[in-house]
Amino acid sequence: MNDTRTPPVGKLPAPVRTLRDRGGLRHLGLVGALVLLCLVGLVTRPDTFATSSNLVTLLALASTIGVITVGMTFVIIGGGIDLSVGSVMALASVWATTVATQSYGPWVMALCALLVGTATGAVSGLLISYGRMVPFIATLAMMAAASGLAQRLSDRRTQLVAPENDAIVALSTTRVLGLPILVYIFAAVVAAGWVLLNRTTFGRRTYAVGGNAEAARLAGIDVRKHTVLLYALSGLCCGIAALIIMARTTAGSSTHGYLYELDAIAAVIIGGTLLTGGRGTIIGSILGLLVFTVITNLFILNGLDTSDQLIAKGLIIVAAVLLQQRTANTG
Amino acid sequence: MSHSPGRRGFLFGGAVIGGGLLASACTSNASNDEKSASAPALAGTDNEKPGQKVVIGFSAPAADHGWIAAIAKNAEATAKLYSDVEFKAVEPTNDINQQIAAVESLIDAKVGALVILPNDGQQLNQVARKASDAGIPVVNLDRVFPDKLSYRTWIGGDNYGMGVAAGHYIGAKLKEKGVAEPVILEIQGIATLPLTQDRSKGFADALKTYGFTVTAQQDAQFTVQSGTDVATNLLQAHKKIDALWNHDDDQGVGVLAAIKEANRNEFFMVGGAGSANAMREIKSGSSVLEATVTYSPSMASSAVKLARLIAQGKGMSDLVEQGVPQSITLASETITKDNVDTYLPLGFES
Amino acid sequence: MPDIKDPLLVMSGIVKQFPGVRALDGVDLEVLPGEVHCLLGQNGAGKSTLIKTLAGAHQPDEGVIRLGGEEVRLTGPVAAIRLGISTIYQELDLVDGLSVADNVFLGHEKARFGFTRTADAHRAASELLTRLGHGEIPPATEVGSLPPAGKQVVSMARALSHEARLIVMDEPSAALAHDEVDNLFRTIRELTAQGVAVVYISHRLEEIREIGDRVTVLKDGRTVAVGLPADTPTREIVSLMTGRDVEHVFPARPAPGSHEGRAEVLRVEGLSVPGVFQDVSFAVREGEIVGLAGLVGSGRSEILEAVYGARRASGKVLVDGEPVRGVSSAVRLGLGLAPEERKAQALLLEESVARNITLGGLARYARLGWLDRGRELADAGRQIDELGIRPADPGRPVRTLSGGNQQKAVLARWLVDRRRLLLLDEPTRGVDVGARADLYAVIRRLADEGIGVLLVSSEIPEVLGLADRVLVIRDGRNVHESDARELDEHRVLDLIMEGSAL
Repeated sequence: MNDTRTPPVGKLPAPVRTLRDRGGLRHLGLVGALVLLCLVGLVTRPDTFATSSNLVTLLALASTIGVITVGMTFVIIGGGIDLSVGSVMALASVWATTVATQSYGPWVMALCALLVGTATGAVSGLLISYGRMVPFIATLAMMAAASGLAQRLSDRRTQLVAPENDAIVALSTTRVLGLPILVYIFAAVVAAGWVLLNRTTFGRRTYAVGGNAEAARLAGIDVRKHTVLLYALSGLCCGIAALIIMARTTAGSSTHGYLYELDAIAAVIIGGTLLTGGRGTIIGSILGLLVFTVITNLFILNGLDTSDQLIAKGLIIVAAVLLQQRTANTG
Repeated sequence: MSHSPGRRGFLFGGAVIGGGLLASACTSNASNDEKSASAPALAGTDNEKPGQKVVIGFSAPAADHGWIAAIAKNAEATAKLYSDVEFKAVEPTNDINQQIAAVESLIDAKVGALVILPNDGQQLNQVARKASDAGIPVVNLDRVFPDKLSYRTWIGGDNYGMGVAAGHYIGAKLKEKGVAEPVILEIQGIATLPLTQDRSKGFADALKTYGFTVTAQQDAQFTVQSGTDVATNLLQAHKKIDALWNHDDDQGVGVLAAIKEANRNEFFMVGGAGSANAMREIKSGSSVLEATVTYSPSMASSAVKLARLIAQGKGMSDLVEQGVPQSITLASETITKDNVDTYLPLGFES
Repeated sequence: MPDIKDPLLVMSGIVKQFPGVRALDGVDLEVLPGEVHCLLGQNGAGKSTLIKTLAGAHQPDEGVIRLGGEEVRLTGPVAAIRLGISTIYQELDLVDGLSVADNVFLGHEKARFGFTRTADAHRAASELLTRLGHGEIPPATEVGSLPPAGKQVVSMARALSHEARLIVMDEPSAALAHDEVDNLFRTIRELTAQGVAVVYISHRLEEIREIGDRVTVLKDGRTVAVGLPADTPTREIVSLMTGRDVEHVFPARPAPGSHEGRAEVLRVEGLSVPGVFQDVSFAVREGEIVGLAGLVGSGRSEILEAVYGARRASGKVLVDGEPVRGVSSAVRLGLGLAPEERKAQALLLEESVARNITLGGLARYARLGWLDRGRELADAGRQIDELGIRPADPGRPVRTLSGGNQQKAVLARWLVDRRRLLLLDEPTRGVDVGARADLYAVIRRLADEGIGVLLVSSEIPEVLGLADRVLVIRDGRNVHESDARELDEHRVLDLIMEGSAL
């Protein structure tokens, strides 16, 4: 018998510690961009940019889309896309602030937002996995439907959080160790998302389903069920985001979350997640989002125009993706 | 568009009251003005009595904003007040083509008069002209058609005047306080709209008379959430603010939330449009929001009334003229704690 | 017309350096007009780089390319095509949604002022197809509806439409069944008879002997033999490729009948998928390798899929007496599949070797969904070691491994967590000769450890050499079952072809 195997045992390189955590290096471009932007901030507005209150502001501003971005990262790594996030968040905020819901108090309002988000997400997931619809189309339909339902429910009015339910608004106004509670919620979602993606079978299966759905299926993974769970997770994140936006604006409205899907997708993509699925990180997405948030902050601090902000955003997306391709090819 | 019956009843109730009060407010204002003038023969006040039956067609953009929603509701509610009016509203839309088609369908239905709030005055001009040519009087609501042959009467708000009112309130107040070089911020709606530019121009012009300028300006897309985000950043950028004008009370909900969150109260704020929320806030006296300058959707109620009068060949009874004027620009009024009770019933729920 | 002795193509001293790798390190190649020149070498020997250089996709760092005696520079794919060099890759670059004629003239459409001239294109395509001996393919057919063999003919017609003098074919037979390969050879002969030279790449030595005129062998980026006659003995060629002699390709088998009395791992009764296969019954015992022989399209792969629960079928599939209901239940009962399309159906190419190995048994490392990554890595490392996956780096992306090592990674997936039965579909496709022997040994060792194996292969010698028992499938029916040692290649071919050949 012919044996080409090099003598076994002992020849194996010392236990390789990391399977894929080339993370630090991978995000070098984004961290660099963020540092650069912060330098610009320090130079142009030395008095305000680096203050603790501005940092709190940045985190509070990032928290809404941030939570949605975590869900979006899962969906995109899993090979899908969720265009409905903005309107699902709006729907959840509206549903939670109807007169009827508000009469049950803040806990029920919060629960309502989470349930509405999760349920709508699950419906998208069912349409995609069992209805065999393309994710782009299914969530596009959900985007339209959820938005319409939000308008119908609210009668297109801005629904204020009633004074007796101020506990919701307190998420934004109450500070613990100098930070509003909603920043902790944001941090908790990011941490939970990271753990779920990197340390659990759910996360591993997400990479597998997005990387090669057929291989995942033949390896015994229930791809359809997993897909439903992914969109439900994204919906849950929208529900949490709805809670945050209700706290920040003191209102539920069908206009909430307008174009959030684009911001969230852009953040995920410049964060290094492949739009085709199978690869990506939560940290990258959050860094990508922070880049956007800091740009907006810088522009307003310096009294610049919204149109210029949009130009800067577009350029950053292109630059980040080009940079990513270069590092990905050499790495 | 359909609504759940319960809410519909509630809202219409409010709007009816609004429309009615507006009518009386207008009349009373007008008669006050005329008191000193030598009164010609009174035209008689039988305008409200049922006359010949009129079908009024109505077309407006789809509501994505409390103000527009209030427009549609006010129009319908006012029409309901008259037994001689049949109100025919077409499906509201934000698509120019669909609105053109909708107006065409009303022309084909040979309505007696048309009330149109166009998505875009330029682009709907042609279809409005077609209606006028067909002998249907058009009441142009707010966004003006460029061609005067396209409409019989224009009624709308005064965006420039709104800015002027806000500028005067802020200017006078700061002058009174003796603030030198005040920090004055402005949060616009959608910056690209001509109406926003008019408002800002009026604001800047009025401030100039006091020797003041706008320190910083940002736009907030007319949405609550954008209002919060923009205001949060602006409050960071300016540690000490003297006055803030927010163009729109809808997005003002978000602006106020951001101010509350940042725990700031060293300045005062003026709103725009005149929503019920804003008025309640003003009334409470504990808010930074001290005043709001109106751009009231009650104009839709007036427009329907005007359409009815035109179709029935009547004039406005408080004027000498036998017909309805060609153009009516509503003054932007300033609502403060002192007069808020008068306006509160007129406020629209954003 | 150049003298027949004048070479059409001469490549000498070609060097191509990539970051960290010297892919070509002084390669020579000489091709005569009208000959079929075979290129042999293990995976990683530099074959792909060499053909990409010929196709103009890579620019060599050193060396000279002469075509028809003149030195040429292949600055890009278009330049290569203009000079008459066409390359037909393994993954045919055809547009499925376009017609045969559209594909043939893709990029140089028969058009006037931008309007395509369909009738002209159809006529011209028909002529080209006839030249290839396949006038029966209608030029208006959508390419997506053609079988792989038909697509290949279209690719060749496209090459001819560029007036190719040299056609490079990268493993053209890999996707074809036995009779289709014969057809391919006929087509190639049509080409060479017209003076076109063919550079032919394949792992199958039998094919090379049949179609090839001369052979060039590559090893580690160098030419180790130029222009050998195609009838050079296998052993000599293999030793050139591997640098060693291959003696026993197949591992020793236990004596016939030694599995009788051992427990049945798998029992299949009356399994049918309408229109694909009917009423197939068989059993696999512990430690036994059962081979399914048959043509592509005879239903063998589909039988495997049905056993695995990946395809709806009527009839019974029992694993240790328990019925299989879908893939999840198959995996739970101890089945593992190494599918035919390794890259498309089994591997997460971007992921590490370790993650690919543990994918099938993830639940093993999880407590309440929480992964124990240390244990996971340790298990993966042990499999890498036991199966001899090289390089032995669990963190390396699996796409960087050779075909044989990728296949081992797929096998390893089912070994971390002890399987009762492995279903292997074409386990050696795209695996070079040296590595094949290694894979055979691994498969036999697993059987010796008591695992049942159900093997599908297009290569009859592989089925006969590796399996204990063989089932011959023809037109979706099990037409013969016997001990592998009672059969030879001829007999199996007879059984496979019988009926359909008449």
